[in-house]
Amino acid sequence: MNFLRFIMSSITVAEMEARKIRHDSTELWTRIIQPALWLLVFGETFNTIRAMPSGSFSYIQFITPGILAQSVLFISIFYGITVVWEKDVGIITKLLSTPSPRSSIVLGKSLAASLRGVFQAIVIFALSLLIGVKIRLDPFDIVGVFAVVILFAMCFSSLSMLLASYMKTRDRMMGIGQALTMPLFFASNAIYPISVMPTWLKYISIANPLSYVVDAIRSMLLVGTYKNLPIDILALTVSTTLFLVLASRTIKKLLE
Amino acid sequence: MHPDPTTLKASSVIAIEAGNLTKIYRDGIRAVNDVSFSVKQGEIFGLLGPNGAGKTTTMKMIVTLAKATSGTLNVFGINVFKSPETVREMLGYVPQSISVDTDLTAYENLLIFAKLSYVDKKERNERIKNALEYMDLTGRANDLVKRYSGGMMRRLEIAQALVNLPKILLLDEPSIGLDPSSKKQVWKRIKQLNQDFGITILITTHDMGEADELCDRIAIMSEGKIAILGSPTDLKKDVGGDIVTVNFVSSCPTISFPKEIGKIIHNNEKSIQILTTNGEEAIPLIADFFRSHEIRVESISINKANLDDVFMKYAKRRLEDGLYKDIRKTRRDFVRYSR
Repeated sequence: MNFLRFIMSSITVAEMEARKIRHDSTELWTRIIQPALWLLVFGETFNTIRAMPSGSFSYIQFITPGILAQSVLFISIFYGITVVWEKDVGIITKLLSTPSPRSSIVLGKSLAASLRGVFQAIVIFALSLLIGVKIRLDPFDIVGVFAVVILFAMCFSSLSMLLASYMKTRDRMMGIGQALTMPLFFASNAIYPISVMPTWLKYISIANPLSYVVDAIRSMLLVGTYKNLPIDILALTVSTTLFLVLASRTIKKLLE
Repeated sequence: MHPDPTTLKASSVIAIEAGNLTKIYRDGIRAVNDVSFSVKQGEIFGLLGPNGAGKTTTMKMIVTLAKATSGTLNVFGINVFKSPETVREMLGYVPQSISVDTDLTAYENLLIFAKLSYVDKKERNERIKNALEYMDLTGRANDLVKRYSGGMMRRLEIAQALVNLPKILLLDEPSIGLDPSSKKQVWKRIKQLNQDFGITILITTHDMGEADELCDRIAIMSEGKIAILGSPTDLKKDVGGDIVTVNFVSSCPTISFPKEIGKIIHNNEKSIQILTTNGEEAIPLIADFFRSHEIRVESISINKANLDDVFMKYAKRRLEDGLYKDIRKTRRDFVRYSR
């Protein structure tokens, strides 16, 4: 059955990533340093000086979902670099010359990115529990958070692959990644609430997918009310599907 | 004379058929320009030419990695443009640059590839085992590929292309950058695959020795076009054959030389040059001839017609031009990936 084959191929591409990580997981651990610093240094400091209006939650509680989302964002937006590198060493050529449909390769790659995202999420969970951040530990909510993390990583890694199809070099992808991550991060509700933003920035943050992700994770980890959750998930699903379809169509350009 | 290999393997089934195939890149470069050829089932077919002749682009169009601008392309009668996935199921492809994942083991590379090629789960391990054995890699199957030598990586790539038992194996510059002994080993395997399993093989190469050694038929490409197509033997015959030079101890009396052996094209007092169709076979005949006429021969040398002469004749340039860049690049690949 074709659909079954399609899913099998995607899982195989993700499996390839998992096996690589098993052989050498150095990158995963070094990727932890940045979010850890945000939590431990930035979070703790601002928690102490109480400079941010974080509502009924402590500031460190407030930014934990933000940092989680941010670290997954970084991984997935730079995932295009990995794909360009794999193109340079011929792996993409090889993958695209198999009978597997191209879209299944793209989906698989995005699943591979979310595999890394999930690892980040686990470590940030562990870290925040370790430093005593109070988060809700409802099993359904945790499953929900991981689902959002997976979807989110798929969304931005496929956007990254879409961009990589046109950019084609690692240097350019590095530049694009840098140019995208910081604006996305600062124009979101990750480290401060939207209410403190200047008006123009508020508008930008509404169009910023990261805001929806942070909102979704925050509602599950902290608030426990799911009023905005359907909209958050819908926005994320729509953009993920869109980017996946587009990237599947453009990935061949990477080889040109 | 050796029997012509093409008549031995003659098969009426056409494996690959290209008709007026053209690829124009966006910058207006005609990489492949109105090329037509057909590859018969069971033969080893070579696309020979220098850098930028359009060999790799032609191959990429067959593997559906590049889209033709115009023309027709069929693999076992199936339209490559309409059913790319069905076509890819029949192919095994080894690109020019190293394409195995050096962060995985050899076994894992084959496993992933087998899964992506939808090899039946029950047969998968058996096929991987056979492919590793066939390529002489069993002992190192669980080592990370980055610890492999260049020749081993190339063999692993061929093993990888074999797990889905392809009907056609496409090899883009299979021995580029390899040292002579690895090269010989790779050649041996390629020939074996063709003989043992009847796999149709298409190779691209700039190496005349390789084309001569492996191919039943060759299409010489230059600037996006096929300059000439034929078996290496015929092509070499076409440029006139081998020249045997005989040097005498003392000046040679005028003699009439038998036409069956060759034609004298040049002579002076102490030496003559004879044009023959096959130099090696002619030498003993020539030696016998002079011995029977009691003419003492000092030395006999042979200047073999090679595909470079053929290339020179049809493409009006030498094959070696601009070749070293490619070799260096692939050598760098090997160095970079093996640590």
